[in-house]
Parts: sequence; structure tokens; C-alpha cells
Amino acid sequence: MKNKLILFLGLFLASSVVALAQSEDISPSRKQAIDSLALEKVKDLSKYIAIIGSKETQFSEANRVMDRAEELFAPGAEMGVSSINSNEIAYYKVRRYFERLMALNYDRVNITWYDIQYISDLERQPDGRYVGVITIFQRFEGTSIETGMNYKDTTKKDITIYVEKKQTQIAGRTIEFWDVMLGDVRVTETSA
Amino acid sequence: MRFTLITLAILLANISIVSAQGIGSGGTIKDDGRFAASTKQLNQFFRRFNAEESPDGNTRFYPGDSLYHNRPLRQGFIQILFDNQTSSVSKDLKTQFINTVLSDGYPQYLNFHRTGWFSEVQAEFIFKGKREKVTLILKLQPEGLGYEWVIDAVSFPPFKNLFNKPVGDEKDFLHPLSHELGFMNLRRAFQDSKMPEAFTGNAFHPDYLTLFLYEMKQNNLRFSTVNEVKFHFFQIEGWYFEVSQFNRPGFNTGWLISNLVKLNPGDKETIQQYIYDQK
Repeated sequence: MKNKLILFLGLFLASSVVALAQSEDISPSRKQAIDSLALEKVKDLSKYIAIIGSKETQFSEANRVMDRAEELFAPGAEMGVSSINSNEIAYYKVRRYFERLMALNYDRVNITWYDIQYISDLERQPDGRYVGVITIFQRFEGTSIETGMNYKDTTKKDITIYVEKKQTQIAGRTIEFWDVMLGDVRVTETSA
Repeated sequence: MRFTLITLAILLANISIVSAQGIGSGGTIKDDGRFAASTKQLNQFFRRFNAEESPDGNTRFYPGDSLYHNRPLRQGFIQILFDNQTSSVSKDLKTQFINTVLSDGYPQYLNFHRTGWFSEVQAEFIFKGKREKVTLILKLQPEGLGYEWVIDAVSFPPFKNLFNKPVGDEKDFLHPLSHELGFMNLRRAFQDSKMPEAFTGNAFHPDYLTLFLYEMKQNNLRFSTVNEVKFHFFQIEGWYFEVSQFNRPGFNTGWLISNLVKLNPGDKETIQQYIYDQK
């Protein structure tokens, strides 16, 4: 009898943990709103990357934009880059990635984005924050006038998004809102 | 019903020419359909397998939506979820699998949070100054308020022949009256023998993950990079399949079924043992 009681309590507690882990689901309409917010951040990132990569951008301006771009990311976020020829991933801190982009030796850099993206479901992680991944495709073209070198590639970018419910005080009232931060980005050169 | 079928068939056939809403209005390149067709995330593999999204991937279907788990939509999706260029899965086996999954009386779905699937990660580490390949097995588990991926096992070649327990005449032993001498002959096991594992019980099996973590804590092992990721699924009763990523030109790309096996009794354990590679 005692054993049965322990088993019952064990099963009850185990199911409670799973229920807790799966509770507080985000409704479809809320998810759509969060997706839009996350896409806005990704759009901002794409604009910043184009500015940082352009040779026409002054050094001081590029640095200012790098600061703005860095603010989109959660602390410690990294870029993991691999090419067609090598599966090996090179890891860069976000700031370092931008600095490398700025230092590219092309007179003209053109970064464009494909009109397609994919947004994953949001999954809850142990600390209660939600995590998702947005996949986008980017075309890079760099031209060097002096050497006549013209480099092109198409990359798939899988961008982590962290979604968190936060509170703020406005006119003495507590307002809850969902905040989105970008996280690690996996950059894969595609064969397209 | 017929109209729905025809509509879905047209949608799936045209998955390649469906254009998604743009990320930015100006300066974007129109996808010729290849990226739309690609199974871009494993999340999309789940959604397509279960028919939980529209053919272009832009609309998520939830329970109650008319096309949620829709059979004809699933059929179309599952057919494009196979690697149709390099894998040797026969047409007949594919058909049997699809019929099982789509069975009218007992349709089966994949579930992200349920056990019965795990990941195999090929990585590189620097071990005592030398680059070595490592296979990590990761699984999803509930933790705190959500879920996390955890390392379930590791297969590491330098550990492979570390514990080759000798057998028969080759095997040294502590004789059965060693206790009468206060086990003074343990000296033979721990000091004289180069194979102390010879003195362990029949049930002894090295825990490679513990060893691996120990070496890391001793600063003998340093992570270098991840080379490849695969997923193994046992969630469909009587079947095993492997999902790999295909980065190549064309429309049959992304996360696709690269291997499919119809399981006989005992096969599941054999395949799992083979993947975990702990012997």
C-alpha cells in the first residue's frame, strides 16, 4: 500500500513537472505579433549589415551603426559561419563579425535579401524565456575595382530569437509587454 | 472533398513558385521557389510531416483549422520530405511507410516533446594537442519551466581500445582466496598490470561520457567545431528513419529523410546500439 502511494505521488509529481513545462502556451495571435516584432528586428539587422558593409560608410558612422546593431542582440551572442568547401564552423562574437564585415576589401558591397523567410514555433527553455529561430537567405556581392575581383555568395542565416515577457511603468500603471532579442546566428553558405 | 484535393495538389505542385511575404519591400531578390521548397528547419520537417503549416510555410495551422493534420496535404508533404537524389530508399518502402503514417484508423504524427527521437552530432575536439572526431548523442528533456537538449552519450575513438578486457587464458585475476590474505595481491591489479580492467566484474562497462567530461575538466579536451548534425526517429511504430541536411542545388534540399527502415522485433534496440556506439 505504501509503495503504491509513493508510486502515485511520484507519477503525480512527474506529470506536474511536464504540465508546468508546457503551461503558459503562447496563443496563435500572440505568436503572430511576436513574429512580426522579431522580423522587424531582423529587418533592422539587415539594414545595419548593409550600412556596415558599404565602403561609402564613414568609419565613425559604421561604428555608430555597429553599436545599434549590437543592441539588437542578447549578451554573448555569436555568429557561426561555414562555407560550401568546409563544414567547419568559424565562431565570431557579433561585434567581431561586424568588424570583419567592415574590413572587407571591396570597393562595392551589395547585400540583398531573398523574399522568403521561415519562422519556427516558440519553445520554452528552462528559465521560462521562449526561444525561436528565423531563417532568412542573403545574397552578398563584393567588387574590387583595382583587382577586378568580384565575389558572390548566397547564405542561409538561422537567427535565434529570445522572447520574454517584461513589465514597465507608464504613468504609474504596470504594463506588460513581450520583448524580442536576437541571439546566436548560424551562417551557412548555400549551393543555390 | 474532391475540390479540396485538387486545390491541395495544385498548391503542393506549385510549392516551388509560391513567393513568401518579403522581409523588406525594396532591394529584395525574388526566390525562384528553391528556398520555399527547401525544408529549412527541423521545425519545418515536423510541421510538414504532420501537416501543420501551409505549403509555402507562411501560415501555421493549429487544432481547429480546416487543414490541420489534413491527410492529402500530409501525403504531398511527406513525399517531398525524402531525399530523392542520393538515398537508396526504395519506392515500395516509401509507399508502405506513407500508408502506415497516413492510415485512416490510426494516423501517426511526430511530436517534438515526446521521446523516441534524438540527435547525432559529429564534432571535433582537440585532445592532448591532437584533433579528434567525436560523436555526441543529444536528447531533449523537460527542465525547469521548459525543455533543454542534453548530452546522452559520447563516442570517442581514443577511448575505444582503452578498456579491452582480456578473456580466457590471457585474463589475469585475483584468486578466490585472496580475501584470506587481506587482498594483498591487489598490488598485482593496480601496480603490476597494464590492464587493470581485467580485474573488474562481468557487468563492467566504461562510461565514456564520464571519462570525456573528466578529460575536459583536466583541460585535456577542448571543443573545436561541429561538422554534421543528424536526427534519428523511432516515433512511428514499427519504423526507424534518419533525417539529414542536404545543402545542394535544386528543390529537394534542407532537412530530409536520408534512411528508412521497417523494424522487425529487436531491430530498434540493435539500431539504437549501433548509433550510440558504446561497445
